[in-house]
Amino acid sequence: MTKLILQIEGLQVNYRTDAHWVKGIHQIDLIQRQGQNIGIIGESGSGKTTLAMALMGLIESPHQVKGKILYKGTDLLKLSKNELKALRWKEIAMVFQNALDVLNPVMTIGEQITERLVELMGYSKEEASAEQEKLLEMVALEPHWKEAYPHQLSGGMRQRVLIAMAISCKPKLIIFDEPTSSLDVILRKNTIELIKELQATLGFSMMVISHDLSVMTELSEDLLVMYAGSIVETGKTDEVIHEANHPYTRGLISSSVQVFPYKDLWGIAGEAANAMDEGCTFAPRCTQKRESCFIFKPELKSVNPFRKVACHRGGIVHLLEAHNISKTYTIGKKKIEAVQGASFYVRHGETVALVGQSGSGKSTLAHMVSGFIPIDQGGVTFEKLPIEDGQVAQREGGIQLVLQDPFSSISRRLSVADVIEEPLNINGIGSIQERRDRTKEALNAVQLPVHDAFLKRLCSTLSGGQRQRIAIARALVMAPKLLIADEITSMMDVSTQANIMRLLKGLQNTKGFAMLYITHNIHLARKISERIIVLENGVIVESGATSHIMDNTDCCVTQELLETGLKLA
Amino acid sequence: MRDFWKTVFGYVLTFFLIITLNFALPRMMPGNPFVHLSGEDEEVFETASSEQVAYYNAYYGLDQPILTQYGDYLKGLLKGDLGFSYYYKTAVLDIVLRRILWTFLLAFSALILSFILGIILGSYSAWHRDSWQDRALYMLMTITSEIPPFLVGIVLLIVFAANLKLFPLSGSMKHFTTYTSMGEKVINILHHAILPVITLTFVRVGGVYLLVRNSLIGVLKQDYIRTAKAKGLREKRIQYVHALKNALLPLFTRLAMQLGTMMGGTILVENVFAYPGVGLLMRSAVNVRDYPLIQGVFLVLALTVMTANFAADHFYRKLDPRVRE
Repeated sequence: MTKLILQIEGLQVNYRTDAHWVKGIHQIDLIQRQGQNIGIIGESGSGKTTLAMALMGLIESPHQVKGKILYKGTDLLKLSKNELKALRWKEIAMVFQNALDVLNPVMTIGEQITERLVELMGYSKEEASAEQEKLLEMVALEPHWKEAYPHQLSGGMRQRVLIAMAISCKPKLIIFDEPTSSLDVILRKNTIELIKELQATLGFSMMVISHDLSVMTELSEDLLVMYAGSIVETGKTDEVIHEANHPYTRGLISSSVQVFPYKDLWGIAGEAANAMDEGCTFAPRCTQKRESCFIFKPELKSVNPFRKVACHRGGIVHLLEAHNISKTYTIGKKKIEAVQGASFYVRHGETVALVGQSGSGKSTLAHMVSGFIPIDQGGVTFEKLPIEDGQVAQREGGIQLVLQDPFSSISRRLSVADVIEEPLNINGIGSIQERRDRTKEALNAVQLPVHDAFLKRLCSTLSGGQRQRIAIARALVMAPKLLIADEITSMMDVSTQANIMRLLKGLQNTKGFAMLYITHNIHLARKISERIIVLENGVIVESGATSHIMDNTDCCVTQELLETGLKLA
Repeated sequence: MRDFWKTVFGYVLTFFLIITLNFALPRMMPGNPFVHLSGEDEEVFETASSEQVAYYNAYYGLDQPILTQYGDYLKGLLKGDLGFSYYYKTAVLDIVLRRILWTFLLAFSALILSFILGIILGSYSAWHRDSWQDRALYMLMTITSEIPPFLVGIVLLIVFAANLKLFPLSGSMKHFTTYTSMGEKVINILHHAILPVITLTFVRVGGVYLLVRNSLIGVLKQDYIRTAKAKGLREKRIQYVHALKNALLPLFTRLAMQLGTMMGGTILVENVFAYPGVGLLMRSAVNVRDYPLIQGVFLVLALTVMTANFAADHFYRKLDPRVRE
């Protein structure tokens, strides 16, 4: 086991503004081993930079830093000003976020790169100059730049200068604050490579702060996700990105174009909050919250040996779990194994695409898990309880199914209001007025009119797109936690399809239901889903994160679907 | 290069405006240079008859049309001739040059002292912002910068020269003595200059202090100061190299602008201490309506301020790499 370089215990930072305190960091515990590279990710204002500032001892009175920051066993917060000064740059250095003002505008680059070294080593002018050239060369800048002033450099060069400055005293730990955020993609790649090379030669440990996931995958092995001054999830970088366990992490990843190059990006609904004393800080934006989430603060708990998550619900809830389920139809004497031994899960708030050719067993699987057809073998649980004969579809917060063909799924003789209120009426939910209100709300959500004339219209007078919206609205009045959408757009023209898909994703983003999206169109799946399950002849042949499957599939069906799907002719 | 010519043109235009005003202003004053022929200030004057006035007017060309006079004045200036004093009956240039050194001695000593003091106190205040020392200094400096220089001068004169007899009451050096060494002479000159310099410094230091304090407070919030702190640099280096170098830049523009008011202040103070600089000279020139001398004094003062402006501008370019190109 390698030695610890950094150990943070119960770190709190409070900022003093005029008359009251604002929490910058609520509570952070963290351990970094020598040679380990930690990434800290979070939206702006999540406290990432505050953490770095606290580590560098740059948060001064009247602001407050509490807890312990042990650097190789020494508590930095207990050191005197001079003791701390001695550690700075020599032990812990920082590459500040690239901005013009980070470097002194009236001093040359060279002087700024080596001034601390000169103080430490007492270098002469010539020695300092030689050192400057050496450092500039290490970051691939020509030696004459040492005479330049900051305003004469481009953003990319300034980033290199900042790095050269940080490595000047050969520190053991370097904090990189957004090392690539102001750079274009090519410079970004070069900078990441440069940092890796320097680490290989100099052997420092890194703490990388960024909101950019691609930097994290390149530069860190372990990832900390921060939200409103607390750590909400930690784990191995690759694993966290492949399958986030905290709703916030998932939201962050879903917003990231690097992880989902094809999928539509959806930011996290709601505004980033400040650190709060009571309750989970993410609760106001969370879609799987309970009342208790607002009362108690969740602690960071292990969910597996490499993963910790701060969530009262133990991370993203597994809403639906299917264990080894099978279904066999008998036609005459022939047994058709429609689904064989399928195991999968759908987590709260996510979209899972169930992809396969016609006849691969997709619809059978969907109907089994929603409890509409009995399961021959295996079991399905919804919110940890076994589903029994469609009961889960009869209550609010359960499963709702939207089918492929709106013409047959909606009676042409019923009025719009009757169709949408039907599930409420049948299951006896709410008063008449409540039912009507919820109907209107659902119609609003699917962007249809809510005036009485429309409510009284017969469904036979509506178009296919409108009818499918009505079918979605009928599912929404039951406020489902899982919406199973079985080829809901396959009968529609492309424009209607696009509109309905955007509508559904938008609703999901705000209401937070999970979606099991069944389709034969793998490209559509890529656009909307976080995870993908590929079914062939009733067997799950492949499953995993959508972006991962798309790039690394080793399955012929997936490949075939991918290749044939996009051909225009 | 275009900018250079623009600057030159600007200065030439300013200069031309100044000499025009210079010419016009004395002539707009009531009175006539030849009414009083002799006598010191506030004494009983010998009054000249109207025939004599007419004679002198003709002799000095004041009976010519105003434009002709103006033309002659410009022609003279081109040849470096500032004219001939009506009162002292000597070349104006000689008189002014003899006197201006005394003014420079006061003005520059006070300027340098007030800057040094202002920078030290301003830095201290900015680094200890909101401490009681800072508050006290801030209040003190705000008050002193509002007191008129002649008032300070009179108080100092009464207390230290008249009552305590620590300093001479007037003049720039003791006359009619032979100095045994150069050093003795210098000490005597300094002894005479101390009170006027203290007066000028006292009223100037507040302005410099406030500027340094404000400018430094702004600089201390900058990211590069945070960078310097993070690097673990010595406090002195952060304060005097990183922060002050940036904070002093606006001060150089201020230095040039200050010189104008500094000259004005010096003129008043010279009169309080009867110090024989151009200030005192200007007063007597105005009293006797000695047009060429007034013009000469004004011109030299204006040139000084313009030169200082130019130098500060130039110096600023040298100091701030961002405006160098």
